[in-house]
Amino acid sequence: MADTGFLPKEKLKDFLEALSKDAVVYAPALEGDIVLFKEYSQGKDLYLDRPANLGPKSIIYPQCETLLSFDFKKNDPEDPKKVDIELKTESNFANTVVFGCRPCDAKGLVIYDKVFIDTDTADPYYKERRDKTTIISFACEAPFAGCFCTAVGGGPADTTGSDVLMTDVGDGFFFEALTEKGKAVLKSVPMQDGASYKEKAQKIKSEAEKKIRNPFPKDATEKLSQKLFDSDEFWEKVVSKCISCGACTYLCPTCYCFNITDEKTKDKGERIRTWDACMFNHFTLETSGHNPRPSKLKRFRNRVGHKFLYYPEKYNGVIACCGCGRCIRYCPASVDISEIVGYLKDPKQK
Amino acid sequence: MSTEKLKEIILKVLPDVDTVIGWQEGFDKIHITPFFMKSPEDAEKAVWNSLCVQNLAAYLPSLKKKTAVIVKGCDSRTIVQYMQEGLIDRSNVVIIGIPCTGVVSVKKVLKAVDYQPIEDVKFSDEKIIIKTSKGEKTLAIADVCPDKCKTCQYPTPIVYDHLAGDPIESTKPAESVYEDIKEFEKKSLEERRDYFKNEFDKCIRCYACRNACPMCVCQDSCIAETRDPHWITQKLSSEEKMMFHMIHAVHLAGRCVECGECERVCPMDIPVAKLKKKINSEMKELFDYVPGVNPEDKPPMYTFNVEEAKIKEHKL
Amino acid sequence: MSDVGTKELRIVGFLCNWCSYGGADTAGVGRFKQPTDLRIIRVPCSGRVDPLFVVRALLTGADGVLVSGCHPRDCHYSEGNYYARRRLEMLRRLLQFMGIDEKRFHYTWVSASEGQKWQQVVTDFTKQVHELGPLHDKKEKAD
Repeated sequence: MADTGFLPKEKLKDFLEALSKDAVVYAPALEGDIVLFKEYSQGKDLYLDRPANLGPKSIIYPQCETLLSFDFKKNDPEDPKKVDIELKTESNFANTVVFGCRPCDAKGLVIYDKVFIDTDTADPYYKERRDKTTIISFACEAPFAGCFCTAVGGGPADTTGSDVLMTDVGDGFFFEALTEKGKAVLKSVPMQDGASYKEKAQKIKSEAEKKIRNPFPKDATEKLSQKLFDSDEFWEKVVSKCISCGACTYLCPTCYCFNITDEKTKDKGERIRTWDACMFNHFTLETSGHNPRPSKLKRFRNRVGHKFLYYPEKYNGVIACCGCGRCIRYCPASVDISEIVGYLKDPKQK
Repeated sequence: MSTEKLKEIILKVLPDVDTVIGWQEGFDKIHITPFFMKSPEDAEKAVWNSLCVQNLAAYLPSLKKKTAVIVKGCDSRTIVQYMQEGLIDRSNVVIIGIPCTGVVSVKKVLKAVDYQPIEDVKFSDEKIIIKTSKGEKTLAIADVCPDKCKTCQYPTPIVYDHLAGDPIESTKPAESVYEDIKEFEKKSLEERRDYFKNEFDKCIRCYACRNACPMCVCQDSCIAETRDPHWITQKLSSEEKMMFHMIHAVHLAGRCVECGECERVCPMDIPVAKLKKKINSEMKELFDYVPGVNPEDKPPMYTFNVEEAKIKEHKL
Repeated sequence: MSDVGTKELRIVGFLCNWCSYGGADTAGVGRFKQPTDLRIIRVPCSGRVDPLFVVRALLTGADGVLVSGCHPRDCHYSEGNYYARRRLEMLRRLLQFMGIDEKRFHYTWVSASEGQKWQQVVTDFTKQVHELGPLHDKKEKAD
């Protein structure tokens, strides 16, 4: 019976240590006053009391990664004008376990998978990391400020994207394996039988679900009002306060837009891929100087549109938002995307 | 000062302007959000309390139509600095000043209640009462205020057209303003270097600090993002992050009005204002200059004296 | 090998075209012996030196930075070096604050006729930087 398991709280660190024998383990840790995913090492303190400020997305989809490096070489002494280019790609991603992310964070990765893997040309960089990573999510007992996961089809104990789901059942943690990868992880470390805790965990999870706020109707068939979506006046009203920074997109577990640049010195350099943010003016700036989305109203409209209209149109109605609430919690101007979508779903409110 | 008085002023000003920028309740009880008011109905929703932290003056340079803005004492320094640098047309701006005894740092409150979602907030007599699912907690505003409030010299706005309330005098000694900087300087060179490296390593380059900064007027043309000149790369190394924060600090030399927005908005909790405050302390020491206080002043980096009283030639 | 006797370090010098670059030239023409750690970048005026040039150099590999312009009252553009003086003094104090020894940065005034003074400035500054050693760890220095 390796599909479920139970660990008393004091055994959690032993569990992580056992995991870190075969894999690099990332777990949430307190850094000053913020929570970040850090590589786990023996004796290091864990922090599971609240979701990380920046989720685990940067482990699987790093903010900056080198796609290839290039080197201009003059190999021919006879012809000094002749230059050879040497290209190199490196991949040395070790087996990894992400421990203690929230179900919304794991759901975000599924949004990425559709873009980076489930296409004719899968992204090899992303795919390698995704394949080599096991996700152990930690179910939420209660919502945090700004959370709205149930409204976008998720939940505090949603299993989408996770390999193992872990629930705090008071005196310890109840583990359920959800995938083959997850089963392998639970088998690899000694664990008590969890069957007797299953019911209790189920109760905690459904209690949590009731506590999440619903800023707009859950029904996926409910369409956004195109008329309101097209109205500049509406956007002016709701996002005049936006300061056009990238905090919302960079912290978002479902935002995946990137930029590719060549960073070179005289004779060598790297082609790197870095996160980009649609809230920046430069995001759509064209070489000619023309910018199709010149104002923050247009840019914000695109961000909402991408998540709630364009992505669902392309991928069978799946909303590209996991409701983690980070963009609301950490917004400098407290812009609330759930409120905006609420208006778009039900224009009479405004 | 009551919200009622403020609403009265807003209603009086509203017919003459396109927008009144104020505050309204945000997504939860602890977050207040900037509010662009266009109609008397909007004005009814305006609020003023110690949670109104955002510096609304920062929106002014980007607005073309005549605008009224509500400012606290500290925020008013932004307007003075704009006037010094010719960044706003004063005749196009109506300033509604609010004498302020100090605001609340949302980060500090959240920390005090263990980051529990906040159900309700009440104020009574210099205290803030926070209700969460774990119960009620009473905090003295003085204990959870941003650091800038602890040494505030300008509780009453320096410039205003309407004042909502009676002017108040600062009770904080002027010498206290840069005490934290002096304290930090007691650390060794290596400690300081490690401190900044560790802090700036957390940076995700979201540019919230830059975009929230009222004096970062380049905005979309910031050299942190241009490819030509290629000041910094898109890489995520410590050097590039440090470079970005140095660009921000150096471009604000003698211009930073210490509103603390850069630090408040940082999602990674980096003390980004420290470098800027250090420069300001030097501006005070070298040129006896305080930014954002007198509209007739000239920022010290925009001018010079043939003989500099306090700059000595350095010997090797 | 540097003339100071240890491994050569990287020192960047920003010199104004009209005085200090001329001064360095005078020193060269006069065959005054100088350490070889300094790499000179010629700028039109010390007022052209953005403090961020210095920061960039120090963050990306330089162990020391020297800025030199015309003496005050002697600027080719009348007032460029007055602005430079304020900016560079501000920078000096900021570098110290962020944990970079102020001895790694020096700004001074050398005229085109002061070949001897230039020799002295370069020698003394190089010595001063060598006393502190490399700013960046050895791994970075290797490439």
